[in-house]
Amino acid sequence: MSRTVLICDDAIFMRTMVGDILQQAGFEIVGEAETGVQAVEKFRQLQPDLVTMDIVMPDMGGIDAVREITKTHPSARILMCSAMGQQALVVEAIQAGAKDFVVKPFQPSRVLEAVQRVLAA
Amino acid sequence: MDLARYAELFRTEVREHLAGIDGALVALADGRQEGAVDELFRATHTIKGMAGAMGYSSVEQMAHATETLLAAVRETSAPADATLLALLYEATDALAQHVDDAVDGHDTRVVSLPLLERLASVADSLDGGQASRTTGTWRVPIEEMQAELNAELNSELHAELNAEQSGELQSALQDATPGSATARLVAVTLAPDAPLKSVRAQIVLAKLEQLGAVQGTEPTVQTLTDSFDGVFTVAITSAHSDSELEAAARSAGDVQRVSVRAPEVRRAVRDVLRHVRIDLKRIDALLDLVGELVISRDRLLSVADATGDRQVIATAQEMSRLVSALQDEILQARMVPVGQVFDRFPRLVRDVARDLGKEIVFTMEGRDITLDRSMLDAIGDPIVHLLRNAIDHGFESAEERVAAGKPEAGRLVLRAVRDRAAIVIAVQDDGRGIDRDRILSKAIAEGRADPTLTSLSDDDLVKLLAQPGFSTAASVTSVSGRGVGIDVVASRVRALGGALDIETTPGEGTTFLLRLPVTLAIVRALLVQVGEATYAVPTAHVVEAVEFDDVDRQSIAGRESVNIRGEVFPLVRLRLLFGDSAGDDAGAQLIVVDAGGQRVACKVDALAGQQDIVVKQFDAVRGATALFSGATILGDGSPALIVDVGSLA
Repeated sequence: MSRTVLICDDAIFMRTMVGDILQQAGFEIVGEAETGVQAVEKFRQLQPDLVTMDIVMPDMGGIDAVREITKTHPSARILMCSAMGQQALVVEAIQAGAKDFVVKPFQPSRVLEAVQRVLAA
Repeated sequence: MDLARYAELFRTEVREHLAGIDGALVALADGRQEGAVDELFRATHTIKGMAGAMGYSSVEQMAHATETLLAAVRETSAPADATLLALLYEATDALAQHVDDAVDGHDTRVVSLPLLERLASVADSLDGGQASRTTGTWRVPIEEMQAELNAELNSELHAELNAEQSGELQSALQDATPGSATARLVAVTLAPDAPLKSVRAQIVLAKLEQLGAVQGTEPTVQTLTDSFDGVFTVAITSAHSDSELEAAARSAGDVQRVSVRAPEVRRAVRDVLRHVRIDLKRIDALLDLVGELVISRDRLLSVADATGDRQVIATAQEMSRLVSALQDEILQARMVPVGQVFDRFPRLVRDVARDLGKEIVFTMEGRDITLDRSMLDAIGDPIVHLLRNAIDHGFESAEERVAAGKPEAGRLVLRAVRDRAAIVIAVQDDGRGIDRDRILSKAIAEGRADPTLTSLSDDDLVKLLAQPGFSTAASVTSVSGRGVGIDVVASRVRALGGALDIETTPGEGTTFLLRLPVTLAIVRALLVQVGEATYAVPTAHVVEAVEFDDVDRQSIAGRESVNIRGEVFPLVRLRLLFGDSAGDDAGAQLIVVDAGGQRVACKVDALAGQQDIVVKQFDAVRGATALFSGATILGDGSPALIVDVGSLA
């Protein structure tokens, strides 16, 4: 059975790109969220194997969403998607409970490595 | 990974964000700072992230510098003064330019360094460099590259030095009381090409912490910055074996010399795609095919009827229903919200109002109303024209407004409303209204109106204003407040198969209404026989059809005209117009068409029914009379030209 993924990003473009990479690797995209609030809601509802999380989103940022999710699901597997110049924020996200990160531009092999690491943990 | 196929999606979505930025800048200028700065920050950040994913470094750098400035503005709640706004506008324009260049394959990395420097220096002057420390600076990529290079060169050396460096850690471990756990030093060298090494180090720490108590790191976690080269040592007390600790550290990923190979990803059966992106050309092709299907459906229905076979008729009708449903679905797939065009208007209105020294409160309604994509590009200019016109001529001066008991700032509303099969776009002002008497006397003076008229209806008004060359004289427009270029708007709207209406009340304001079909691609047409050929006349323009024999003919000003129930219309003999012989008057038909405010009666040989036709645009032959706006294929497979009604007046 394929692993389920929830993709959280406010840009359709990013969701499409991340979705394509994961889908081609056999993952099932079970949900997409555009805001941190949606991310938390959809996580609770869908209980996906993996979450990809953008850092800056409307309503609630990705880091707060990570905190909110790990509060009830400490073992949630969350992969942060980071842009340039966000070292400090990614560190914060990892400390908040995210398991790994990828940086843009996304190389599919790197994304999949990170995903495998997160799922293996 | 083939990024090219994402480029258009990138451009489309970035444009939405740029429009959002424009809107937020207007809000910022209006003093609505709090939400606006957040919105600006988020939109800029999103663009930066998307550009990063595409590898468009020019866009990324410009977005990053802008974001850094915005972060500083947000943190310090600095007031958005004119200088700051001007800088943000400049940065936004540069960003838009870089986006287009990058998508078009010119991501040349030629970013305006002076602009980047100014953004950075204003950000620094606001918050003393705080924002650039938290978001990094635009120079980071270069520093990262340098750091990676250093790491590569020095990693071997560092590994040897690790034992010596960890002297302090040795003592930290001696202080720890491990119980059954034993103290270890874990030296880690990250891969030279690992991105964000300081974050990766955090993950290594997190992994190790699962197996024991971390006593400290060398260098310390706080100093793991951009220049961190990926070589560090962790002191830990743990009950786990060395190999377990090593495996844990490795599991963080990007650890050098340990090959962390990703297991083969099993290619599971692909799940049903939730979204697919389709090239617009494909949708156009689909629409063409469906259009032809619609035509052959009509043919099938008539053939089936002729057989008299109930089963055949029932099957044909079922087919017909399905084809209609298919047509609806495809038209639906082409719909996009008008917001995509509207979103650039707030800034335009703001700029025009500022240039003219007027204070305008601009609101938009119905941004979610959808319109066929083919229509979307075409309506932008007419709306811009009406907005400019309203700001320039529609509103009184602030003093006049106050004297008339109106709010000082003029109210301008752009509204889209769905009205059955049409979209109505309204540009509404609460200005002085159009002076009908002036327009009327001018029209009479120019011989454009019946001298016996004493008042102008809204319909008459629009007909007059839509006449090319009418009331463009400055003396009239400055008094009447209107008229400049309305004919241009009217002809554009007509070319789209739509109509322009005006509602105006002196002292209360004017509303221009653009009534547009939802799609350009399929129109309802009246088929007419002229000579040997069949022509299509869009029904939107057809007012009525009458028997030619039933009307009185007369000559007015040397032009052949017809009188239908007391109303006189110029007569156009289509046979002659299309270069045929005059033909027989007996049994001929007249169709009255609205040629943009002016009605004419066209003589045709016969009416051949109504049909949905698929419009195939064609480029007019150079020098040829512009009588036709396109062509279509009829149910029997024969081609028919579509009459450009606007050209008949």
